Amino acid sequence: MQGYRQTQTMLWLAAMAVAAAVLAPAASAHAIGGKDAAFVAATSGPDPFPFIYLGAKHMVTGYDHLAYLAGVVFFLYRMKDVLLYVSLFSLGHSTTLLLGVLLKIDVSSYLVDAVIGLSVCYKAFENLGGFRQLGWGINPRIAVLAFGLVHGFGLATKLQELDLNPNGLLVNLISFNVGVEIGQLIALSIILAAITLWRLTPSFGRFATAANALLFLAGVVLAGQQIAGYFITGG
Amino acid sequence: MSDASPPTQLNVPPRTLAMIIGGGIVAGTLIVLGAVVPAEYHMDPLGVGNLTGIARLWAPEDKKLDTNSASAPLARSYDIALRSDVIEIPLTDFLGGAKGSELEYKVRMKQGATFVFEWEAIGAANKNDIHFDFHGHTTPGPNQSMTVATYEQDYGTSQKGALTAPFDGIEGWQFSNSGDTPVVIRVKLTGFYELVPAGEPGNEARIVANVPAAQARPDFKPLH
Repeated sequence: MQGYRQTQTMLWLAAMAVAAAVLAPAASAHAIGGKDAAFVAATSGPDPFPFIYLGAKHMVTGYDHLAYLAGVVFFLYRMKDVLLYVSLFSLGHSTTLLLGVLLKIDVSSYLVDAVIGLSVCYKAFENLGGFRQLGWGINPRIAVLAFGLVHGFGLATKLQELDLNPNGLLVNLISFNVGVEIGQLIALSIILAAITLWRLTPSFGRFATAANALLFLAGVVLAGQQIAGYFITGG
Repeated sequence: MSDASPPTQLNVPPRTLAMIIGGGIVAGTLIVLGAVVPAEYHMDPLGVGNLTGIARLWAPEDKKLDTNSASAPLARSYDIALRSDVIEIPLTDFLGGAKGSELEYKVRMKQGATFVFEWEAIGAANKNDIHFDFHGHTTPGPNQSMTVATYEQDYGTSQKGALTAPFDGIEGWQFSNSGDTPVVIRVKLTGFYELVPAGEPGNEARIVANVPAAQARPDFKPLH
């Protein structure tokens, strides 16, 4: 039985490595670029709706944020808990998004994104019961708030890489943040629906471990590419 | 399964957990070093990038050149012959797809070389049917970055003027016809440049200069 288990785990890891290798080329640094950057550079004065759109787009297409959220809601069964955790996460990232840009806090986006990648590893490890086995009692609510702060810094560094015009900055920032929340809501509804439906099937019990192992691997790749980028490009 | 207390964490055996974490770190590191770093940062620590071709995904970033602030002597002399060409470029209507209705034609120039030009779109039903992108760029070798200069991007059926090349490279136009009639773009050039041989960057459409439009694109047969 033990041998069968291990073979199964090995097979899963092999399958995941293949899946991740296929996905990896798409996983370049997730920045706001191209025509969106050009639009932001050309904007002077409050322009709420385009910034709401940009915020929502950034969140919906931000696989690092989404991977973390998937980990957070993986074992949340009640809507009350989902709302609590997501509110804590939003509180965290809204704070640092606004403060980071307004106070012009300049952190290497590679390092912030590396920590965001590690937050995915952290959540997967927690879901796998790793901290309990280590005997570490870390309050998951404080963790989700703390990682919310980090994710917000990630958003702030991306925005600061753009030519933000001080004219109308606050309105545009708040709009971007509102967009981030809308995008998060859209993405979360889909993730939550998928996980809730999956929980009703017997395969959830069988593959919950594998799913979190995959999440852990994704976190390593996300963090790894940012650390590599930091050292190769010099931040 | 009991409804009383659903699990909020898994209870994975320590050995399996160690394998997941260890395997995840090893596999993740291999993916980063083998695939992500070659594709995104142009380094290949494991050699996997070259082996798989993933390393070819890396491309240098384009450098944009400010095309309005150059200065060059007003009088210049050149050591190559003055030449004049008439290039007739047939474009299909938009139903011909990108292959038929869009085309790039450039000539090779040394830095500081000048040509004067005039082109018109013959057969275009209205002004907005033709889009042109008047631009030039260097032709870098592997791992070198490309310098790009964009002079004018607009809709229109004719344009005339002069250009002095800001770098050694290729200079010319991308024309696209979005109208529902086929057109011929007749480009007249006079200056100090060389035609690009068929198939090379700048003349990938294999346009033949100084022949009527019907013979100018021998390799292309429109669908209708």
